[in-house]
Amino acid sequence: MNFSRLRALVIFATIVALFSLIAVGYSVAELEAIAGNEWIPEISAAAGMALGSSYAETMTEAALEELAVNGPTIGQRTAAGAALAILYRNKTGEELLEILKGTADPMIRAAAIEPALEHLLSITSEEEGFSLADYLKDLATTGETSELRLAAAKAYYIVTANDATAESAAADAAGEGELALAAGEILGGFYLFFPPVKTQAELEEIAVNGETEGLRVAGRDALASVLINSDLTVQELQTTLTSIVGTQSAEFRDAYKIALATRFSA
Amino acid sequence: MKRLLLVMAGLLLVFSVSATVFAQGYETMPADAKIVELGVEGSGYEVLEPGVRGGIMYTSTFTNPKKWNSVTAHETSTTVYTNQMFRSLVQRHPLTLVHEPELAKSIDVSEDGKTLIFHLREIKWSDGVDFTADDVVFSFNDLYYNEDVETDTRDSLELPDGTFPVVEKVDDHTVKVTLSMAFRPVLAALENGLIMPKHKLAQHVHKLNPDVPAGTFNEVWGFGEEEDLVGLGPYIVESYTPDQQVVMTRNPYYYVYDQNGAQLPYCDKYVLLVVASQDVELLKFRNEETYAWACRPSDVPILKREEATKGFEVKILGGVFGTLWITFNEDYGLGEDDPAKDQLRGLFRDIRFRKAMAHAMDKQTIINNLYNGLAKPQWSFVSTSSPFYGGRESYGGPVTEANAVTYEYDLAKANALLDEIGILDADGDGYRDFPDGTTVEFELNTNAGNTLREGFCLIMAEDFERLGLKVNVNFVDFNTLVTRLLGATLYQAVVLGLTGGVEPNDGANVQGSCGGLHFWHYSGCDEPYEDEKRMDELFDLAASTMDNDKAFEYYLEAQKLFAEQSLGMVFSVNQAFTFSVYNIVGNAEVISTYATPTNYRGLTWDLVYLKNQ
Repeated sequence: MNFSRLRALVIFATIVALFSLIAVGYSVAELEAIAGNEWIPEISAAAGMALGSSYAETMTEAALEELAVNGPTIGQRTAAGAALAILYRNKTGEELLEILKGTADPMIRAAAIEPALEHLLSITSEEEGFSLADYLKDLATTGETSELRLAAAKAYYIVTANDATAESAAADAAGEGELALAAGEILGGFYLFFPPVKTQAELEEIAVNGETEGLRVAGRDALASVLINSDLTVQELQTTLTSIVGTQSAEFRDAYKIALATRFSA
Repeated sequence: MKRLLLVMAGLLLVFSVSATVFAQGYETMPADAKIVELGVEGSGYEVLEPGVRGGIMYTSTFTNPKKWNSVTAHETSTTVYTNQMFRSLVQRHPLTLVHEPELAKSIDVSEDGKTLIFHLREIKWSDGVDFTADDVVFSFNDLYYNEDVETDTRDSLELPDGTFPVVEKVDDHTVKVTLSMAFRPVLAALENGLIMPKHKLAQHVHKLNPDVPAGTFNEVWGFGEEEDLVGLGPYIVESYTPDQQVVMTRNPYYYVYDQNGAQLPYCDKYVLLVVASQDVELLKFRNEETYAWACRPSDVPILKREEATKGFEVKILGGVFGTLWITFNEDYGLGEDDPAKDQLRGLFRDIRFRKAMAHAMDKQTIINNLYNGLAKPQWSFVSTSSPFYGGRESYGGPVTEANAVTYEYDLAKANALLDEIGILDADGDGYRDFPDGTTVEFELNTNAGNTLREGFCLIMAEDFERLGLKVNVNFVDFNTLVTRLLGATLYQAVVLGLTGGVEPNDGANVQGSCGGLHFWHYSGCDEPYEDEKRMDELFDLAASTMDNDKAFEYYLEAQKLFAEQSLGMVFSVNQAFTFSVYNIVGNAEVISTYATPTNYRGLTWDLVYLKNQ
């Protein structure tokens, strides 16, 4: 998988993680109209993120899987993916691993990442010297698919959270692969509270020019939080997204997209 | 969808499994109801607001309960539920932490503080039976003071002179408590005595019913007896499914109302999901399957990333109650006539050595590396959150740390103190030596598996080595370590923690020279140092006065004295209390390290409400 493909996966995993439970603020019809227009992809996707919980209540799993793969716009595919992430919580661990390892469309596999975490955390073995952390770390590097590796990486950082420091998360995020991406998510959390807390300008710089994808993911997540907590309106966020189409970095645009999705849902 | 499924599962459980039958409740608010004025100036509840009734509050735990018997429970996995089912004569206000009447509507205290008259509320148990003075007398005389009943509460009720408060019925709604001596923390002690229903439990007490064997009461209210549970608190256990959930439902006769006449608790039910681990608790919270969770400091980076998008708040509040410290055994090898041990003991007994160790503690590195920055340096044996904490200006006043006795991280000062003692590196091998030429070397132990303490030991050992002290770090089984610690002369140096509370007198068994946990100098009971004699006096004075301001002054002197002249424990850092709660939870502002009357993970259950009802 090349970097751009990997990035798309991470973006979607974030959508699943962050928007699978919030309520819809805008009407469904309004959001569907926005999601159906792909002129500015990030705005379309933001509306799709906000639609997830509604679709999970009104659509079947099969219909959502069809929409996630063949939806005509990124917003519609995103909405279906977010909804699937909710419905997939009712699947067993084995079913989820089957999806993650399988040949389904990456949008489908990505929807199984967050629901699979509980199963991954409960894995045990009678093998002498078995270490869940070691097992997950290994799976995060050798798993059959990128989605499985990312799920394992996220679980790994939960299991080893007690050992993580801001320094170690930064070092790991500077690496490569899914472990670096998951470390970037942890690092983004540190940026928001661990002194010295990063300013918005610093976060923007990291989201745009961070040396690795993991570091930019950290900047993206923390920047998104700052934007959500700011006074920026839907209109202002949309204006910014319109003005930066195809520029800056994907992570920088994603931060605004996440903030916009949250405003849509408020 | 998930929420709907959970609710449906919960309802099915109610109708299919539980045989609990609840009475209808009061027809009108009882005259003796307790009114909490939420949001009203001067009530202590200014930061809260009247809520709306209804809904199910979801939280989680990773341990199953052991039983429902509050009197015999030792473990928080049980008391988390029993503390909701039962109440005591007095309880601490959840925000001000000041004791106030609870099951009593008022208390008269004699001038000498030795006689307390409790005027009881005329209220009912959850099954509709009247609550009376007989229940109070039964709880103390037939349960807590009954040697046939296995209860930890008995110890907490014992006065310094070894007697117990005498509890007598005056009339159906009046109880007299008589003390052999003035004892200011009497309310804190009585708070531990949750009141139990005589009409349900007397039949199981051998003393009252010789037909049942001795010890019968200790087995009462086990699993499967949920339908027999009766309480006075806001919630009663309705059903329990091992490894899945405990469902508590509102007590229809709960006696607490808000100022608008709404009977508390606000939520219809309180459900605790029983999950496999704290990591799964994290996932449940992230999925909004639970609404509130006392997260760990290590979870904060994970949760902070999501709090804005998911609509919850990670609260990072003041320090938790409890301490983490290193102690050096001043009785090591005492009475063994072993010159090597005598030499090491002599070093540990030198206050300059313990001060050097205090200067060698790099608290900032410990805070940054082990606690993600979520801790503060600690210097006192009293918890920061206690109104008696010596860093305050007065009893319950603001924390200014004006009185703090601190030892900054300064290896040069530590080196100078060790040089002054006369332990120098005589042979040039990098380690300091005793005058007889042997290397200064000691073991530093902590309990294996506690990653925080292990990390703390390693950081300390590194700095000790820099000082030229040879340290052997050992991680040993917890019970083995405690045995060594309590073995008076056995251990050399240990890193461990103690729980804490609002009232410093609860720690009299640690600071007192004859205390059962005076582990750094047990011989002080027979031959106390001057500072230990004064500590004993100060604790007695603080316990005997009925004036909190005076008690504060005594405890302040004790805290400074301990930090300046004893250092029997060299304190490290105080971990911040971290809590995460969704924005739909109303009155979450009540969250504190010592929220009562729950005393469990920060929330005061009867005041919390759900905004989406």
